[in-house]
Amino acid sequence: MGAATAMPADTTMRGQDVVLDAVSMVFGDFTAVHRTDLEIRAGEFFSILGPSGCGKTTILRMISGFLDPTTGSVRIGGAEMRGIGPNRRPTALIFQNLALFPLMPVWENVAFGLEARGVGRKQRRERAMELIDMVALRGHENKLPGDLSGGQRQRVAIARALAVEPAVLLLDEPLSALDLKLRQHMRAELKDIQRRTGVTFIYITHDQGEALTMSDRIAVMNQGRVEQVDTTDVLYDDPATPFVATFVGEQNVFRGRVAEVADGFAVIEGPDGRLRGRNRQKLAPGDEAMVFVRPERMQFLNGAALDNVVSASIDRRDLEGPFVNLFLKRDGNEIMVHLTNSGAAGRDLGGEQRVGFAASDALVLPAGELARD
Amino acid sequence: MGALVRTYGRGLTTVFVALTVLWMLGMIIVPQLFMVERSLWTRQETSQITLQIDRLYNEISTLQFDAQAAADADKPAIEDRISDIEEEIAELEAQEKAPQRVYTLSNYTRMSGLHLRIFVRTIFYAALVTVLALVVCYPIAFAVAQVATPRAAAFLMLGLIVPYAINELLRVYAWLMILDYQGVLNTFLDWVGITNLAAKQWIPFLESPVSVFVAMVYAYILFMVFPIYNTLETLDRNQLEAARDLGAPTWRIHLRVAIPHAKPGIAVGCIMTFMLSAGSYAVPQIMTRGTSGDWFSQTIYRQFFESNNWNVGAAYAFTLLVVCIVFIFLMMLIFRVGVRDIAR
Repeated sequence: MGAATAMPADTTMRGQDVVLDAVSMVFGDFTAVHRTDLEIRAGEFFSILGPSGCGKTTILRMISGFLDPTTGSVRIGGAEMRGIGPNRRPTALIFQNLALFPLMPVWENVAFGLEARGVGRKQRRERAMELIDMVALRGHENKLPGDLSGGQRQRVAIARALAVEPAVLLLDEPLSALDLKLRQHMRAELKDIQRRTGVTFIYITHDQGEALTMSDRIAVMNQGRVEQVDTTDVLYDDPATPFVATFVGEQNVFRGRVAEVADGFAVIEGPDGRLRGRNRQKLAPGDEAMVFVRPERMQFLNGAALDNVVSASIDRRDLEGPFVNLFLKRDGNEIMVHLTNSGAAGRDLGGEQRVGFAASDALVLPAGELARD
Repeated sequence: MGALVRTYGRGLTTVFVALTVLWMLGMIIVPQLFMVERSLWTRQETSQITLQIDRLYNEISTLQFDAQAAADADKPAIEDRISDIEEEIAELEAQEKAPQRVYTLSNYTRMSGLHLRIFVRTIFYAALVTVLALVVCYPIAFAVAQVATPRAAAFLMLGLIVPYAINELLRVYAWLMILDYQGVLNTFLDWVGITNLAAKQWIPFLESPVSVFVAMVYAYILFMVFPIYNTLETLDRNQLEAARDLGAPTWRIHLRVAIPHAKPGIAVGCIMTFMLSAGSYAVPQIMTRGTSGDWFSQTIYRQFFESNNWNVGAAYAFTLLVVCIVFIFLMMLIFRVGVRDIAR
């Protein structure tokens, strides 16, 4: 995006922190959000990740002010928000369908927040044009949203939200309607805008790839509960629950029972034999457990030895381009191995194979609910 | 047409087209042409002829008297004269029965001052009823379409529709009972102590046009609510939330987001309400019972069935139609909607 570099550093915008303190939300006899504590730092790109119906949108609506929590309090920049409507909160919301005003030209859309604040027409047009420049839409300011492409509409929505100079920008899966290429481009653009403006971004998504690429930190939610809040790397390498482990990225899962523990490692015994992995949650012998290994940490053993070895037969090979996914079958359990495509990767493989992984690449967690594909 | 044939086949297409043509001709074009034709001529004055016929009859009587007194030789001449006159009378009577049509614009131009006043007042009141109905109906339509839960919306809708299962006359009579001299409202005011029915001190609601307004707004409320409801229902609730989130107070959300979106519905509602109230006959007839001035529709009725002057009646009716059509175009201009938006 050419104009992003020309964008002036906007000093008038400043992010604020958002604190959810023992917040819960109950609709009738349905608890959408169980008691939750969450601290989102000022100026951070924070994602709330979870499957549909997990309560992430409810949290977003509590922060934006369309809902007041049943219990607990929401504080933005230290100020209690209960009873303060969405029009008086320092937040701006970008809707999943963008909710641009179809009958107003682009610049009036962008200037609407200023219009609502009683800014004069000339002044708000000037400000709108600055923001339109910032999102590289100059020349489109008099068009109607319906005449723009998906990516351009996206930018109008961003400009419209930023026009009110919010301390917190809330984004409700705004990229979900775009095609892959544009989505990847917009991710970079969003991240860039967030960095330049310093506004706190709270991004709601069910797409773990989106959350991983853009966020500083991620909260993973499931069934109304926050299962883990961490930086992207920690979340990927050290998921706290089987749900988080399988919702974020791909995993190979082996079930069993803990046989022995030593030096932060545990050995579990199951249908796939004895497997050793990191025991961060200090499981004790006899506990039901699961071992999680990322497909890219698995390797084919051509006679070499590794901590853990499993035999399985090749089922199919999916060429993704830069890498190859090999699927192996073993007693109904599917094992996925991820090979970098450095030339005909895995093309000649077939039949029974031995695959293995280092104990330091495997994570032992208490058995629990997995994310559904 | 080609597409229609491709989709439905020759037979069904013929039926469609035939029905459409029949509808257009039978329900719209022919009756209107008939009305317009009627409005363009007047009967020649027949009083002159009647007088002439009377005079000739008198002459016959005189001649018959003469014939009795006259000599036999003179009789045939007198009888010839009588039969001549009888022929003339037959001719004149035929003329009297089928008066000559004179094509003229006078039916349009000779509207009396009183009728013109009624006409202008009717148009003004119909416009007022339309505005009143809009003010009442927009919030209702918005509430049903956007605010109410689906359950509540269904109940509200039912509440709006149920009165329409009752005959329009009965609905109007209900208002009559409420607003009558000793009606529900005056009785209530009597109970409160504002009026005194025993002393015949009541508020004569029915003598003011307001009673007609109230009954009309009630009678035509659905025709305003439904088109607005239909358009508002398609308004993405996110847009309302986005506007609120961007800091807009409620009135601005309506002004900038909801009303612009509902414009086609508002235009349709206004057109329908205006047409119905401008042409309403039963409501002013029942509500005022002559205590307040006529509506133009009543004047037209009188031309047709009391003055027995269909030509002037047709001219009045056609004038009203033209004003209504002008109103439609005015509405489309004001709300900047095209025919296509309205048809949506």
